[in-house]
Amino acid sequence: MNDVVDRGGAWAVVGAGPHGLSALKNLLELGLDADGFERDTDLGGNWNFHAENSRVYESTHLISTKPFTQFPDFPMPDAYPDYPSHWQVHRYFRSYAEHFGLLDHLAFNSEVVSVTPVAGERWDVTVRDRESGVETTRQYAGVVIANGHNWWPKIPQYPGQDTFTGEIKHSADYKSADVVRGKRVLVVGAGNTGCDVAVESAQNAKETFHSTRRGYYYNPKYAFGRPSDQTADLLLALRLPLALRRVMFKSVLRLTVGDFEKFGLRKPDHEFFETHPIVNQQLVYYVGHGDIQPKPDIDRLDGSTVYFEDGTSAEIDVIVFCTGYLAHFPFLDDSYLNPEGDHPVLARQIFTPATPTLAVSGLIQPDSGQWTIAHWQGMLIATYAALRAQDPVAAQRFYDAIVSETGVRFTGGAEYKDSTRHYYEIAHQEYLRAIERDLQRLESMAPAISGSLAAAR
Amino acid sequence: MSRLRRPSKVMRMWDWSVPPTSAHREVLSIVPEGWIDEPRATRKPPILFVHGLAHGAWCWREQWMPAAAERGFPVYAVSLRGHGDSGGRKRLGRTLLRHYVHDVMQTITELPQQPVLVGHSMGALVSQLVADRYQPRGLALLTPAPIQGAAYELPKLIRKRPLDALKVVAGGTLPLRSEQLFTGLDETTAARYVDRLGRESPWAQYELLIPHRIGPVRCPVLVVGTPDDRVVDEKAVEVTAAAYGVDPVWLPGIGHDLMLDGGWEKALSVVLDWIDERC
Ligand SMILES: Cc1cc2nc3c(=O)[nH]c(=O)nc-3n(C[C@H](O)[C@H](O)[C@H](O)COP(=O)(O)OP(=O)(O)OC[C@H]3O[C@@H](n4cnc5c(N)ncnc54)[C@H](O)[C@@H]3O)c2cc1C
Ligand SMILES: NC(=O)c1ccc[n+]([C@@H]2O[C@H](COP(=O)([O-])OP(=O)(O)OC[C@H]3O[C@@H](n4cnc5c(N)ncnc54)[C@H](OP(=O)(O)O)[C@@H]3O)[C@@H](O)[C@H]2O)c1
Repeated sequence: MNDVVDRGGAWAVVGAGPHGLSALKNLLELGLDADGFERDTDLGGNWNFHAENSRVYESTHLISTKPFTQFPDFPMPDAYPDYPSHWQVHRYFRSYAEHFGLLDHLAFNSEVVSVTPVAGERWDVTVRDRESGVETTRQYAGVVIANGHNWWPKIPQYPGQDTFTGEIKHSADYKSADVVRGKRVLVVGAGNTGCDVAVESAQNAKETFHSTRRGYYYNPKYAFGRPSDQTADLLLALRLPLALRRVMFKSVLRLTVGDFEKFGLRKPDHEFFETHPIVNQQLVYYVGHGDIQPKPDIDRLDGSTVYFEDGTSAEIDVIVFCTGYLAHFPFLDDSYLNPEGDHPVLARQIFTPATPTLAVSGLIQPDSGQWTIAHWQGMLIATYAALRAQDPVAAQRFYDAIVSETGVRFTGGAEYKDSTRHYYEIAHQEYLRAIERDLQRLESMAPAISGSLAAAR
Repeated sequence: MSRLRRPSKVMRMWDWSVPPTSAHREVLSIVPEGWIDEPRATRKPPILFVHGLAHGAWCWREQWMPAAAERGFPVYAVSLRGHGDSGGRKRLGRTLLRHYVHDVMQTITELPQQPVLVGHSMGALVSQLVADRYQPRGLALLTPAPIQGAAYELPKLIRKRPLDALKVVAGGTLPLRSEQLFTGLDETTAARYVDRLGRESPWAQYELLIPHRIGPVRCPVLVVGTPDDRVVDEKAVEVTAAAYGVDPVWLPGIGHDLMLDGGWEKALSVVLDWIDERC
């Protein structure tokens, strides 16, 4: 075994996507020592277009607008549009990291290959330098896991799939319309990826079929001149109840987009807010032009033919499975985050009942933008880490209380459809309220951490 | 401090649902050559100055910016919307403090490092609202608009300057004359400065009347007041200082506009020495 470098009270952060960056920044801001490890040559995670783990494609723009998507202490530039492109988002993360001096604390090309517990609730973190292959192990007081959950492809299996003579791709391999240009294309799945890919295929392919296993609500990016997510936040700010918000959203959809069934789309088999929101203004348009042909679920495949559940079939050159991603923690024994083996069930989507010094940031799928939440998750973890350093007994009290709520979900009153993609779905405002209560509890336990005094530095 | 704690720093519902519009920003700066690309070339943190009611970035440019730059600090000053050469003049009548906070946040994110925020008067309140969401290197509050709300000052204003009080209540800009702003400036200079004052947003002025709950902030805080201030009284300075658990620094003999008044060198050195020592 190689020598272990003892990093004392420092915390390690796995990943330099928005969640890792925010965790790192907040740990440092609260005066802790922290090291960030990123397997790629650059930061930004999903938004670092050329990275292996990036799942954005050339045309990706945000589906959520700036006000809630951005870090609250580092707004995006006024010059950015409502829905910035992935290039702009990447530049934004870089200026965040530079502004807060994070680059000194980040190691690139550094893949975390194992995170193992050692005595005293500490962790050995082994990092492989991807250039030299050299592995180094350092010991930390705690670890924040922020490796993202939108990169490990979920690939379905249909009868006859191995007889299929065309190409089978997952959206993970879809970086531009080159994949579909001039071909007969079947897009499977109507998450936001599936809808974007179907639209891009409609613009570039010979023929586009779109198979979904249920009907959905296709929300416009703008309704009545306002970005949809800002309207959603306005209704929440006005504290309108779920039932009323449902009626309002459905009426707005009917008024602005129309009746989905008349377009030949499937009728939603669920209420509004029961599936992760789709935000796509163009899909319905292309369906209306016949450039996207909606289809139900696949029944079976045979050679170049795909048969659908309604008995129809189509000749297909390439299938793009836009069936989402699964969480994956190859560097950590399942007993810590995922003892059931199916998916992690945590407290606040952050803390695990298995150990008090491991925290996850980013294991959320909000019905909104994400980085306001990334900020507050990072702040909660950092405040907790600071309390552990200062008053371990109080920190343990906080930890015991919070993990007693393991498995509590924040659904805003809705019942999410049973699907792997809803494992981490949260109603953003309800979730943030809970995080804020936790933060207040932590700060009341350790006034010195909460600052207020000029003496803090 | 606990008394002034705001109920929610997390749930900023109005900023999410009705975000501030953008406006062109005038940002004056004096920075060492190459500093933007190599911010660590200087050991000194950047300073961002935030002006007060009816002022503009120009008020820092007269004396403080060149002098602070001389001492090696990269210095910036922003004109809040509707002020100085910034845009948004036509919409001044619909401008709130949160728009000013937005302008300062936008300026901050363009800096390569976290700055020390130096706010004057209303700008000190804006700076505190900024520090409520963002951690600057330090927070210096100069003759700060009262954090507890200036409503308690109204009776005094009505007694002493009834017409001015009436004007403010009706949505006009609080008149600031040279005898209120300066104690030791020659008449022509003082008149030149007063001449440059612009209008203030009536809504922002109303917001100055109500209490603001801020904090906790984790950076060093400096509060500077003067017993010869005829705009912000000693009580306002004391309450603000107490909110951060610090003692105010008093600079007798200087007026409210301590970046322009005779004796500005003394006031500046208090701020810069504090930055050197604490930030
Ligand atoms: C196509 C697409 C569009 C999206 N659009 C939006 C949107 O409009 N608005 C929004 O808010 N969210 C959107 N999201 C959600 C998006 O996933 C999050 O915004 C955000 O990128 C998640 O950040 P993260 O830091 O948790 O993970 P990631 O961004 O995935 O970053 C994880 C980082 O960890 C690194 N890493 C992984 N394993 C290791 C290891 N073993 N060692 C070292 N480093 C490692 C990876 O290289 C990566 O850099 C979108 C997602 C996708 C896929
Ligand atoms: N900014 C953007 O433009 C943008 C673009 C793309 C993605 N995103 C975000 O990225 C994340 C991932 O989105 P995603 O679209 O890649 O994945 P996703 O949200 O998980 O959607 C997967 C889709 O595939 C379907 N599906 C899953 N398993 C299936 C199976 N076995 N057979 C048939 N259909 C199956 C799902 O149906 P069910 O309804 O049954 O679950 C769903 O329609 C989301 O947070 C999303 O908002 C954003």
